[in-house]
Amino acid sequence: MRWFGFGFNAFGQIYVHDKLIKGECSDAVNEIKVISPTELPGNADCCWETESQIRASWSRRAYLQLHGDSCVWLAGFGAVLSNESCSSCMKESRGCKDAFITESYLTLAFPDRIESWDLQKEEETPSWSMEIKKESSGPPLNLPLVPGGYIATKAPFYRSLSPHLKAKSLALSAEHAILLSASGAVYTWGLGSHGQLGHGGLTSEEEPRAVEALWGMPMSCVATGSWHSVCISDGGDLYVWGWNETGQLGLPSRGLRKALQLQCSQQAVAVSSKNCNTNSTGTGAPCQDGSTSPKEPQEGEKLDEVFISIQAFPALLDITPSCEIRTVSCGSRHTAAVTTTGDLYTWGWGDYGQLGHQNLISSDEPQRVEFFRERQMCVFDVVCGPWNTFAAVIKEEVA
Amino acid sequence: MATLWSKVSAVLPLNEEQFPLQFGDKVESSVVEMLKRSRQQLYSDATSASRMLNAQIILDFSWEKLNTGTWRHVDKEWRRVYSYGCLFKAAALCREDPSADQLLQAVRTCDMGLLMGAAIMENILQVMVRILQGEVKSTKEQDESEHPEVKRIKIECPRVFVIKEDSAVPRMKCPSLECFNTNYLLPLKPVILEGIIDHWPALNEHPWSIEYLRSVAGCRTVPVEVGSRYTDEEWSQTLLTVNEFIDRYILNKEEVKGVGYLAQHQLFDQIPELKEDIRPPDYCCLGEGEEDDITVNAWFGPGGTVSPLHQDPQQNFLAQVVGSKYIRLYSPDDTDKLYPHQSQLLHNTSQVEVENPDTERFPEFAKAPYLECVLQPGEVLFIPVQHWHYVRSLELSFSVSFWWS
Repeated sequence: MRWFGFGFNAFGQIYVHDKLIKGECSDAVNEIKVISPTELPGNADCCWETESQIRASWSRRAYLQLHGDSCVWLAGFGAVLSNESCSSCMKESRGCKDAFITESYLTLAFPDRIESWDLQKEEETPSWSMEIKKESSGPPLNLPLVPGGYIATKAPFYRSLSPHLKAKSLALSAEHAILLSASGAVYTWGLGSHGQLGHGGLTSEEEPRAVEALWGMPMSCVATGSWHSVCISDGGDLYVWGWNETGQLGLPSRGLRKALQLQCSQQAVAVSSKNCNTNSTGTGAPCQDGSTSPKEPQEGEKLDEVFISIQAFPALLDITPSCEIRTVSCGSRHTAAVTTTGDLYTWGWGDYGQLGHQNLISSDEPQRVEFFRERQMCVFDVVCGPWNTFAAVIKEEVA
Repeated sequence: MATLWSKVSAVLPLNEEQFPLQFGDKVESSVVEMLKRSRQQLYSDATSASRMLNAQIILDFSWEKLNTGTWRHVDKEWRRVYSYGCLFKAAALCREDPSADQLLQAVRTCDMGLLMGAAIMENILQVMVRILQGEVKSTKEQDESEHPEVKRIKIECPRVFVIKEDSAVPRMKCPSLECFNTNYLLPLKPVILEGIIDHWPALNEHPWSIEYLRSVAGCRTVPVEVGSRYTDEEWSQTLLTVNEFIDRYILNKEEVKGVGYLAQHQLFDQIPELKEDIRPPDYCCLGEGEEDDITVNAWFGPGGTVSPLHQDPQQNFLAQVVGSKYIRLYSPDDTDKLYPHQSQLLHNTSQVEVENPDTERFPEFAKAPYLECVLQPGEVLFIPVQHWHYVRSLELSFSVSFWWS
């Protein structure tokens, strides 16, 4: 399995540029924003069959090798600066089977215990730990789920979950949570101000509440961004809900169009007006007045297009051409989905290159990442950090 | 002649060592690292693109924190980080002989920090924006492309209101503190105070007008409410410069439909020159709070802006400076006839459209007694705490409200 990363790289979490190794401040914009999928270093020596996982926080990337003597390699802020393969792995992580990383903590799941390590301090012992009683019938470890509950992103870390939820997987943002049960039901709780709970309103929920709109349709995968939620049905359909201000739901976004217009008008001085017209809410007027506020669409240009800024109920997202989704992951304001035919689609915030379309343009429409298709690479998995994306590629074409 | 950058760097710390970057535990060390990189670039050679990028990273990260959870609970440290981001971005914009547009962007950036951030380095953003505004004005004076302001203000003749005597808000001219306290404050009765703001510079040396506001605050960014009233589905808030707000919603140059209202904004904290044109009424000292605790808001908009019937948790002096407003008041004793919204968000707001009530849905409303008035420039309306009030501007209007306890 080879991993490719793109997007935010200010801490070298995708790759480390030579200047950073020498201790110089990076001046180059293109080293901080990686717009073209770049293979992660350190994998070249490991064989194709090595099973691995990536976990990413804002400033770091954890590479979890699961084959044989499993352990975690950390890259990014505070890590040893090197592009050499298989450089120092985190010794405290030897033998771990799963990892979960936030900006402050790295949580490791071992067969007999769970440990949370404070990434801001260099300590000999974990900040928090719990033992796991060995039960042969227990579900496989799936952080942030732990036996009896889950590890939250802030104190108190351990939160219990009712066993009748039969939690199978859990996705967390800073303020909301989405849980997938063994029966395929989806529960959400936390802050609802941006519709991210999917119950049709903006109110918050203190306890897990079933997303009734999805009742009767078993789901197989759940993911959260900072203000949005997504899940995949057994049949490979993608459902989205929450905030769409930056197009992260893949639905028409007024906020995004305005931001693109604004970017356009600020850069427009030397560029002819032809290049500036976006194809839906373009103003038609030359963007050269340097105005710093978004323009209203002119009379007669008010299209039939319905913009969605908050989607409070789950909506089915059609990723054209129609295809089945295998897995999905979300950054803070972008979404990435892998189809069963090995293609990667991304949409949402693109300012740091995290969409992988080799530009810095945000999009409210799912678009295929052509880089992989051009090289006949089959994308198998995707994991998003808040502002970047990591795609796993395997050798053969999957039918 | 000093360059803009020399003026700006004169107000910044001398060097990196004297530039403070202290934050609480909530701000992760990776974020502090980014702040340090930006600080270093302030005092060393770097490309403009790199400075802008690092500042933007700080802004993007703290923006996400500011939008997480409820605004009330946002840790002040994140608002400080946001302000630092604004500082670094504004500094980067005016570093190398900025264009007119970059200058305006820098002003806007400082305003975003003042609106959403928290004060840093002895309110350095306020200091910076003053320097930048000075630069904007002097470049404007150099432009010979001055067109006389085409007065496209709609000729509005406010409907002549007949206020019946028995429903009129009583009036008093310059009552003594004791008189006001005994007859109005303690019994919580509304009254119009005449003559008490006659001394305001806003009504004398610096009469507030569109031209004056443009000159003092034209390039500054302010929040504007768009939509006929805040209970409407189409209602939203946006950020515009004062010039844009005036052009679009007062002079109607762009023929935009809909009402825009610069409402409930602490403009006088943002633009100190305007604060000097007004004074808090002396009667505020009758309350228990400190003068610093008085919340002063600006309300500036065209004719037709409406604040639906609602109540506030503090005493209010509503001072009219420009134009006139129709105001109706209902006592909290009659709340049962006013049909407040049930939701937590709007429970202080009535469901009834005061000047066009749905008598079928709200039958009791017609029975609720009220007081009404047309508030004119120079007059101050005392709205007692929790007193329901409905306000509609009859023409171009600028009011200043003082919320006190």
